[in-house]
Amino acid sequence: MRTTHTRGLMTVVAIGLTVLFLFLMGCPSETAEETEVRDTLTIAIGAEPESLDPVNMTSAPAATVGEHVIERLIYMEEDGSLVPMLAESWSANDDSTVWTFNIRQGVQFHDGEPLNAEAVAVNLRRFVDPEVGAAYAFLLGSVQEITAVSEYELELRLAQPFAPILSHLSHSFIGIVSPAQLEGLGPNDAIEIPVGTGPYVMDAWNRGESITMSVNADYYGNTPQIENLVFNFIPEASARIVALETGEADAIMAVPPQDASRLDSDPNIDVVYQTSVRTIYISFNNVREPFTDRRVRLAMNHAIDKQAIVDGLFGGNAFVADAPVVDAVFGHVSVGPYEYNPDLARELLAEAGFEDGLDITIHHPTGRYPLDATVAEAVQDMLADVGVNATLETREWSSYLSFTAQPPELAEYDTFLLGWGTVTLDSDYGLFALLHTQQWNPNGNNRGFYSNERVDELLSAARVETDPSAREVMYAEAIELIWDDAPWIFLYNEGQINAVRSNVGGLIHHPLENLSAWDAFFID
Amino acid sequence: MSTATATDTTVPKEKTKKTSELKEVLKHLIRNRAAVAGLVIIGFFLIVAVFAPFIATHSPTATSLVTRLQRPSAEHLLGTDELGRDLFSRMVFGSRISLNIGLISTLIGVVFGVPIGAVSGYYGGKLDIITQRFIDIMIAFPGILLAIVVVTVLGVGVQNVMIATGIASVPVYARLVRGSVLAVKEQSYVAAARAAGLGDFSIIFKHILPNCLAPIIVQSTFQIATSILWAAGLGFLGLGAQAPTPEWGAILSNGRAYIRTAHHLTTYPGLAILFMVLGFNLVGDGLRDALDPKTR
Repeated sequence: MRTTHTRGLMTVVAIGLTVLFLFLMGCPSETAEETEVRDTLTIAIGAEPESLDPVNMTSAPAATVGEHVIERLIYMEEDGSLVPMLAESWSANDDSTVWTFNIRQGVQFHDGEPLNAEAVAVNLRRFVDPEVGAAYAFLLGSVQEITAVSEYELELRLAQPFAPILSHLSHSFIGIVSPAQLEGLGPNDAIEIPVGTGPYVMDAWNRGESITMSVNADYYGNTPQIENLVFNFIPEASARIVALETGEADAIMAVPPQDASRLDSDPNIDVVYQTSVRTIYISFNNVREPFTDRRVRLAMNHAIDKQAIVDGLFGGNAFVADAPVVDAVFGHVSVGPYEYNPDLARELLAEAGFEDGLDITIHHPTGRYPLDATVAEAVQDMLADVGVNATLETREWSSYLSFTAQPPELAEYDTFLLGWGTVTLDSDYGLFALLHTQQWNPNGNNRGFYSNERVDELLSAARVETDPSAREVMYAEAIELIWDDAPWIFLYNEGQINAVRSNVGGLIHHPLENLSAWDAFFID
Repeated sequence: MSTATATDTTVPKEKTKKTSELKEVLKHLIRNRAAVAGLVIIGFFLIVAVFAPFIATHSPTATSLVTRLQRPSAEHLLGTDELGRDLFSRMVFGSRISLNIGLISTLIGVVFGVPIGAVSGYYGGKLDIITQRFIDIMIAFPGILLAIVVVTVLGVGVQNVMIATGIASVPVYARLVRGSVLAVKEQSYVAAARAAGLGDFSIIFKHILPNCLAPIIVQSTFQIATSILWAAGLGFLGLGAQAPTPEWGAILSNGRAYIRTAHHLTTYPGLAILFMVLGFNLVGDGLRDALDPKTR
């Protein structure tokens, strides 16, 4: 009996050792194999692009994914300078109403079609076609005529000078796809898998899951080193982090601030902090009582401890807003912030006749911006401190956008939290769209119905003025007036936090909230 | 006869019989250890809910961004949340909300479900067929899904969660009571009441329903647990109580983002929901056994 037992035990030990031995043997060879064939870079992002058809793109995730496949005429570097992309050079006539672009020669689309001025013209005409109704057609709103004057010369005729035209042409949504793909497309038809000129060729779109790309061997610029590129969509931030930690993803975007320091202490992971061009604000409904009273608006600006939000919630990776646009934007001047002063806020409210307090509603999205709902709750509590009793209401993102897009007589909101990224780095995009009277809902993005005649004048004049220093003066005055009117509770400018596995280099973490992989490589 | 409150198998006649029946039930309930544990748990949460302002150490809504996400300490017994609010105090006040939702939504279910089931079962015929098909439609939806639909229509908030979970429990009662009524209405004392010239209304409410009470009580105990769970689920989905209301499901949902850095934000509300639901389920089990003469 006893010997059988011992023999049984020995067998178990022997099997165990063998398994362990095999496992140890297997380990190094497996890793070696893995490093040899590492040809796929996986990036996990929080949201899936709504579309990759240039006329239907509206979000930062679409821009990030799309720019690997489709390119535009001009590229905006991280420092905001505009450099040639599909246009090699450009020039304007004396009054800046006729722009000529020299299209890069010898470039092929992924389907073999050649790139020329006509191909670009077909794309731009589709972009501004009112029948197609591109969401961002306003980017080229001043363009009247688009003609290919020769094989590689494109001419844009404007109704009047439009100062930010070049930065608008650098916008990620004005991508150029193969004219063969557009042939026979009706005004309401959309492209699913765009055929562009970019460093990567899009292979497949697994809805709800991922987009896969492979390298464009015929790329006119530097061919990327990494063969395959995958964008995974993982909405839950904690799941994104786990994907990075386990190596399932090589890079992730939008790391929640509270996880940044923990990730940073992981030797296999680098956390990358980058500025953003997005400013977060709570807009008043400026045509609704009691927000028509400037004292109420000022009071609420003074009631919010912006610094505490930036330090406490974002761990310092955000910046108290000192103007309606971030400081990297052309035309920005620092005019704020409003001092945190609850006593002054109470005084102003009392002056306005609300010494006994005031009931308001704050609408806010949840999960669109980092910590958006948490910020709304912090604001709610700070307002309570000065006697403003705020009720929070949240909605799902797309219904939130349409809810805040009602014309003034139908707008049922007191205040709402939103963010705006001035991705052209020009004040026109940040101020005209959000604060000009012409842009009141439902015509544009002035959802808070702010209106100031002088501001309108300045913003309109700065659009057609071609002298940059004269524009700067105009924007400075406009920003000062806007700040003084306090149509928003000015909150903070976002910072971006991405995280990358340490064996990946060369990723571009762009302030425009793009993560670009065409220069990426594996470090071994 | 008019004071009958016992199970469907006994036809109580005197007051002594009634008290002895109640005693019998209590005796069986107390002999059941699991049920006693459930009673203790419910009692504990009841005390916490009633005396919440005295038990809580801080305001449940006061934020303090400098002391956010702190671990449990002497100052903050269960730590602080993402806005620096005291989690212990929020949990204490949250017990009120969960109990309220559980009780009120169950009440809604009883008030609407029981008469529907009783009328449907008593009259039978076309009325029964039509009512039961509607109930079928409602039952076809999982309860939480039905509650989500109702909340979407009514809007978010604690009150609407009560209404939504209440409506979602109506078909449960309607089906249950209909079944009991079908059994009870064939009893001889019902025929006697009818022969005595009593109207349908008093026959249903004075003679039939009191004899269907046992299953209703048992179901209600379970339903309270289910409603609390549904409400926490709705809160977790952001469809329930709105900020800064310290509803457990909402606290759990908010804490999820911090699970790697401050797990106390999910652990404690999770445990609280678990124990409260467990308490009602244990008592429900015990009651079912105690009220069923066959298992006594």
